[in-house]
Amino acid sequence: MAHLFDPARTTHALILYLAAALVASFLLLLALHRLLGPRGRRWLVVLVTFVGGLFFGLEWFYPAHGQPSKNFLTDWIEPVSNMLAVVGAFTVGLGIYSLTQVHGRNVLRRRIGWHNSAAFFLAMVAMLVFTLWEHYLRLPQPTPKLVPWPKGVYEVLFNGIFMPLQAATFSLLAFYIASAAYRAFRIQTAEAGLMMAAAFIVMLGQVPFGAWLTSALPEVGSPLAFFRLEKLGEWVMSWLNTPAQRGITFGIAVGALAMSLRIWLSLERGTFFSEQS
Amino acid sequence: MQPPPISFWHRAQQIPRHYIYLLLAAVVVWQLLFPIRLPIAPSVATRGVYDAIAAVPDDQLILISTDWDASTEAETAPQTQTVIEACFQLKKRFCIMNLSPPMGVKLAHDIAQKTAARYGASYGVDWCNWGYKYGYDNVLMAIAKNIPKAIGGDFYGKPVSSLPMMEGVKDVKSIGLVVEITGLSGLTEMWIGLIQGPYRVPFASAYTAVMAPGYYPFLDSGQIKGMLVGAKGAAEMEVLVKRPGKATDIMNVQSWAHVLIIALILVGNAGYVLARVRAGGRER
Repeated sequence: MAHLFDPARTTHALILYLAAALVASFLLLLALHRLLGPRGRRWLVVLVTFVGGLFFGLEWFYPAHGQPSKNFLTDWIEPVSNMLAVVGAFTVGLGIYSLTQVHGRNVLRRRIGWHNSAAFFLAMVAMLVFTLWEHYLRLPQPTPKLVPWPKGVYEVLFNGIFMPLQAATFSLLAFYIASAAYRAFRIQTAEAGLMMAAAFIVMLGQVPFGAWLTSALPEVGSPLAFFRLEKLGEWVMSWLNTPAQRGITFGIAVGALAMSLRIWLSLERGTFFSEQS
Repeated sequence: MQPPPISFWHRAQQIPRHYIYLLLAAVVVWQLLFPIRLPIAPSVATRGVYDAIAAVPDDQLILISTDWDASTEAETAPQTQTVIEACFQLKKRFCIMNLSPPMGVKLAHDIAQKTAARYGASYGVDWCNWGYKYGYDNVLMAIAKNIPKAIGGDFYGKPVSSLPMMEGVKDVKSIGLVVEITGLSGLTEMWIGLIQGPYRVPFASAYTAVMAPGYYPFLDSGQIKGMLVGAKGAAEMEVLVKRPGKATDIMNVQSWAHVLIIALILVGNAGYVLARVRAGGRER
């Protein structure tokens, strides 16, 4: 049964599969829409969520035998993962649809800042067109020195504009952090003093300058070696930070487990159609 | 009535932010143009990554999951570069893959391609790129059972099973080490929960400096064999692969930027304490 979901081997088979999947999905959705009321639809979503969670849980915990080791659900892992990928791919379409709606309205009604929305369309279309174009050029590997112009445009868009923009936006954080640290870090209590001492040790222990500051101390074979800033920094991270992080992680894991159970069993408030019912 | 003049110590607490930005920019530019190079010594965590790569048997692959994009490139790109460099130097075959964000697959591919050209390594024989795979934990569960089926096509859309280096590669037992390079939290827990723990596949990682503290418990427990912490980890790897590069330059800049931030905090606090002393301890 799981082989039904194997990838198509020829182009014709792929087209046939796609057409069949589209027709079947359309008929199924139509039938569900006609036959199920709001309550029925809610229960369907609850059922699918429960079965989905149960599948991965069972496959993971059910004893596996043989070589390669597997149980009665293992063969389904790949097709189910592919189904999830397909569902995930729909969110890209939804995202584009939603952005187009919002920004399209801004441009059509000439709202304040409409030129930003126009820039969005220009960027999206340019990136989409040239990325696909570059992909379907199917250039030989290694890439020849003289490349076709669509590949050149793609490189300018991706490596010349998109990447520096993203990196520059993130790097602005360094300036905010410097300013915020100067403004907010005041030793008003003993705890704040301790925190500052730990911060200085870690900050200096992380950089070569810190190691250089205490380079006069022996590296090994003396109790003084512990006070080299790079070692002191490692000590703070390993002996003070680790237990604290472990505690936090443990707390998060317990919370995530509870949350997952609530979502799996559709007990979470606001899940699916509960606002409607 | 005239307001009382603002004292020097009050001013020390209120340096306008644009001066701070300018100072930081000046330090960065100064160190980029005229770097003061200080020695870098590899830490135990960094050495763990190098040793884990060196320990991979020749019949197994190294899987490098490059889950980063341009926003963290300053740290994660040199980390990727040095890990790939170590693989080529130690003659270990490796595969790149990407779970999220998708941009990482191309960025890592470009790095691997350039580095491979330097070592005369060939795609499909010494290294390959499994491409971006959507689905997080589902992908890992599928990889564990059947790699060629779970991965399907490589970066160029060619079936991975057709690549010479993938001959005989069936499931997770063909992987001798996973190296996760990321700026995203949450992925390591997935790798450890679904691959490292159940199948005992050695795992090493590289994180941005800001997220690394959260992963020290895994390093302490031995679940992570080694860890590259931000640009510092990459610079230390550059020492181990004997090829100083971008990370070493970044560490020069970072050294003096940290000194500036510490100096600013000290100035602000000196102003705060002395203003309080002058006001007889009344001021907060």
